[in-house]
Amino acid sequence: VVSERRALERMLALAARLVPSSGAIFAGFNWPILAVRVARLLHAAGVTVVYENGIVEDQLTKVLPTAPTDLAAADNSPALTGSLDALFLWLRSGRIDMTFIDAPIVDQMGNINSTALGSYGSPKVRLAGSGGGSELTATGRSVVLMCSGTTARSYPRRVDYITSPGYLAAAGDRARFGYPAGRGPVLVVTPLGLLGFDSESLVPRAVFADVTVSQLSGTFRWLDAVDYAVATIPEPSQAELDAVTSVLTEARARRYRLGT
Amino acid sequence: VRVHPTDPMSLLGRALRAAEPTIAMPDRRARFLSLPEAVTEFVADGAELLLGGFAYSDPIGFCHELIRQGRRGLRVIKAAGGLAVDQLVAAGCIAELVTCHVWNSVGPRPPHAFRRALERPSGPPLRLEELSYGAFLMGLVAAAAGLPFMPSTPARGTGHWTHRDIWPDKFAEVVSPFDGRRVTVVAPIAPRLGILYVQRVDEFGNGQVDGPTADFRYAVAACEQVVLLAEQLVPTQVIRRTPELTVAPAAMVNAVVVAPWSAHPTDSYGYYRRDLDFHVWYEEMTRTAQGAERYLDDFVRATASSVEFVEKLDDNRIDRLRLRSERWW
Repeated sequence: VVSERRALERMLALAARLVPSSGAIFAGFNWPILAVRVARLLHAAGVTVVYENGIVEDQLTKVLPTAPTDLAAADNSPALTGSLDALFLWLRSGRIDMTFIDAPIVDQMGNINSTALGSYGSPKVRLAGSGGGSELTATGRSVVLMCSGTTARSYPRRVDYITSPGYLAAAGDRARFGYPAGRGPVLVVTPLGLLGFDSESLVPRAVFADVTVSQLSGTFRWLDAVDYAVATIPEPSQAELDAVTSVLTEARARRYRLGT
Repeated sequence: VRVHPTDPMSLLGRALRAAEPTIAMPDRRARFLSLPEAVTEFVADGAELLLGGFAYSDPIGFCHELIRQGRRGLRVIKAAGGLAVDQLVAAGCIAELVTCHVWNSVGPRPPHAFRRALERPSGPPLRLEELSYGAFLMGLVAAAAGLPFMPSTPARGTGHWTHRDIWPDKFAEVVSPFDGRRVTVVAPIAPRLGILYVQRVDEFGNGQVDGPTADFRYAVAACEQVVLLAEQLVPTQVIRRTPELTVAPAAMVNAVVVAPWSAHPTDSYGYYRRDLDFHVWYEEMTRTAQGAERYLDDFVRATASSVEFVEKLDDNRIDRLRLRSERWW
């Protein structure tokens, strides 16, 4: 079992590999902002990021934004627009190639809960709520979820509350309810590795070398037997680790909590 | 100044006479109020109000005055709840909240007063209506444009669709007349009053926003009445140099409060940066209800303006956060 710090480093390096080297992507708060910054230090200096408030960020900003709403993200921007532009003219229309979103709790169908644990009316733990998170997974193309959890607590069979829709309650729900075709979650990045969808249900696709079968079935409880073709993910290179370390150092200075 | 009526008979009457040369320009100056006056006049207990901003340009100074004057039972509509909502909840001002999320975006950290109110309620219940930010935006667009509803992000199957309290009719589904597909539609969001922070305003009440505009243009047009909280009053020539930045044309503005630093601790693009230290300190201060009360007493109720508030935090905070000189243009 790797340390929590090492787990976060691996998750960020893994997510950064998925960031395209050019084109436009949408990034939500927390882990996605950090992963994109790591990617920009490596292969993705040319990627353009759009945030829900209308900021277009086409380069490494001088200062790491604490959130998409932190106007440090607007520094030297080529275009500061509005939310109708970001969420509808670009995201909904399909002009954004990929979307990265933070997923504190994610279930078997890729539904994200960022609203409440327990009953909605009297929650055990009240979380932030959606912001534009519902738009990102309902209408974004090639949506990548980032969940820093390493235990079953973060991956229930069904979330208590669907904030950002994955594949809802059953296969075919999205099509039935009028969700645009070809949109929605495609991958989940975790510290253990990468999960993808098989008939709209999450299965491991690739894991780090030290991750065991029992660890997978203990974390993702819906898996009966892990006999999927699971690839092995190469450990982060020194260059990747350097980029991750540099971004995590900035993140601490910018008061990120970096909790799992 | 005589105002010309516009009913058909009056128009006909005017058409039958030659127009008289106008002698004097009518007085189009905006109503300028002090912060206490604006709260007293526009916000009664139980009032409905939209608070603008999106975790930047939040009208925090106005929220502080609501707390000082002890408003109760408010229905607050705020896309990005943030510390604005958390402080109002801590002070017991809000009965009903329509929002997309509430958090302390630095960290991110928990908004403790909001969490306490929902997880361990001790006072009157905080009623909640949530919708995603895209749906919220489309609701504002519908109201702003006078449309019966707007198509929005699909919401069937999500918690926002299922859980309805204050606005049971917030969402519905229609079948597209064009392709027969199901479409989630959102009802107009038409707040009685909107409080929006802008960087600059002129004597007529034209308000300008620098930087990303989020939902600001639609929020201004969706509200029945609009009160601007302006960082700075400038000569109208400054506004006319970049008129494309005006999000609140004077004709849509009912009153203006000039209140420097009233978006602190959130960012004011080009004027001051986000106060990260405040966000961290606030989270620590408000972990208990007693701590939150002490914060409200010692800082919010003990000061009379945003400048006093920021200066009370520490002596050189303003210099640390400021991005430009007073007269940036």
